[in-house]
Amino acid sequence: MIESLDTEFIDMSDMSIEAFNNMAESAGWSDGMPLYVPTEEAVGRLVETVRGDNEPVGPVPPRQLMPTMQSLAANAVMAGCKPEYFPAVVAALRACLVPEYNLHGTLATTHPCTNMIMLSGPVRHETDVNCGPNCFGQGRRANAAIGRALQLIMLNVAGAQPAEMDRATQGSPGKYTFCFGENEEESPWEPYHVRKGFDATDSVVTTLAAEPPHNINDHGSNTGKGILKTIAGTMAQAGSNNVYLNGPMFVVFGPEHAQTVARDGFTVETVQEFLQEHSKVHVSRISAENLESWNGQDRHAVGEHYYPAGSPSDIQIAVAGGAGKHSAFIPAFGNTAASSMSINKT
Amino acid sequence: MRIVNPTFGISAAADEKLAVQPLDWLNDPIALFSNSKPNARELMDGLKAKLAAVRSVDNIDFIYKPSASQPASAAVIDEVAHKYRAALLALGD
Repeated sequence: MIESLDTEFIDMSDMSIEAFNNMAESAGWSDGMPLYVPTEEAVGRLVETVRGDNEPVGPVPPRQLMPTMQSLAANAVMAGCKPEYFPAVVAALRACLVPEYNLHGTLATTHPCTNMIMLSGPVRHETDVNCGPNCFGQGRRANAAIGRALQLIMLNVAGAQPAEMDRATQGSPGKYTFCFGENEEESPWEPYHVRKGFDATDSVVTTLAAEPPHNINDHGSNTGKGILKTIAGTMAQAGSNNVYLNGPMFVVFGPEHAQTVARDGFTVETVQEFLQEHSKVHVSRISAENLESWNGQDRHAVGEHYYPAGSPSDIQIAVAGGAGKHSAFIPAFGNTAASSMSINKT
Repeated sequence: MRIVNPTFGISAAADEKLAVQPLDWLNDPIALFSNSKPNARELMDGLKAKLAAVRSVDNIDFIYKPSASQPASAAVIDEVAHKYRAALLALGD
């Protein structure tokens, strides 16, 4: 049925959606959910949105291939992307390719990390990505398809086949898709991308090799300090990668929590300082065997504590979601970086 | 129907040529390459002890990645490729 897997274009006999999906599953192209067919015409509509982008992408580890815009767009089509999503997908891949992101390590690890995508700036409205209620959940095509497209690229271009190159012990549901937008309109602080040096009018994608969101429920606290204490307690996990590898992590405030914290005078910087100090994990919570192993890797406690955030700036602060007294902690792989990239468009 | 291959890419190492030469397992230098996960060293120690029963181990060395969570650098891989005739990998965990 397939003439060659080494060619950019494949001539096939006409087939039903069901037959294509059966073929794609056999070829290892599928994440297990139904795919759209990446016809030359459909791919062309996406490639048209990045026509002025002549910067090569890659090589993409571990396979170390230089994909074409067509092959990237084929994955985006299969994921269900509308053409206007594609520049964000390309930018997300580029964000994952900066050396500090450690893409090879994050794809091959036994840890369940996936590639979280956060959209900031005008692209949120242009794509209609969900920044509000249920922003981490189902229901909006941009969230589902942009995140899924990046994951299919990791599968098909990077070569992260589950149980082969992707050695995740259990993985996570976030490996299907993990994309949301920042709720800039209800945030009491500057948008994330502006704090990273971009203009407010820039469209920016930020990626992180991350675990899925861990919920932080605090309905009782009515003060900023009270809410931050609950958040810090949720961050203080003896079994996370961050506890001994440090590195970046996200705290995504629900708007109500953020507004209470800001009302009580906390800035992003003082939030980071409070959380870094109060999320430390006492060595008594770490097993003797783990302490021995970490010491052998030169991962030593500071005094009697391990600090999941090596420094306050490791804690990335954003606001997303809708009404309600919930926020989210998003731990990461550890040896990685939160990477932000401007979205190029023609 | 014409579709675009979602796995297509150009190999970054397409122009590299590999020269495969016969290996003398009883004499050639060997790298015992650890992924730096817990127990990888113990696995390699056992392997080296087994090899000591059949050959000299003076030219068998341990090589480590700096971190279990990062790939080996190109410089380390180049060093192993130039200095040794075989590399045995430990994927301890």
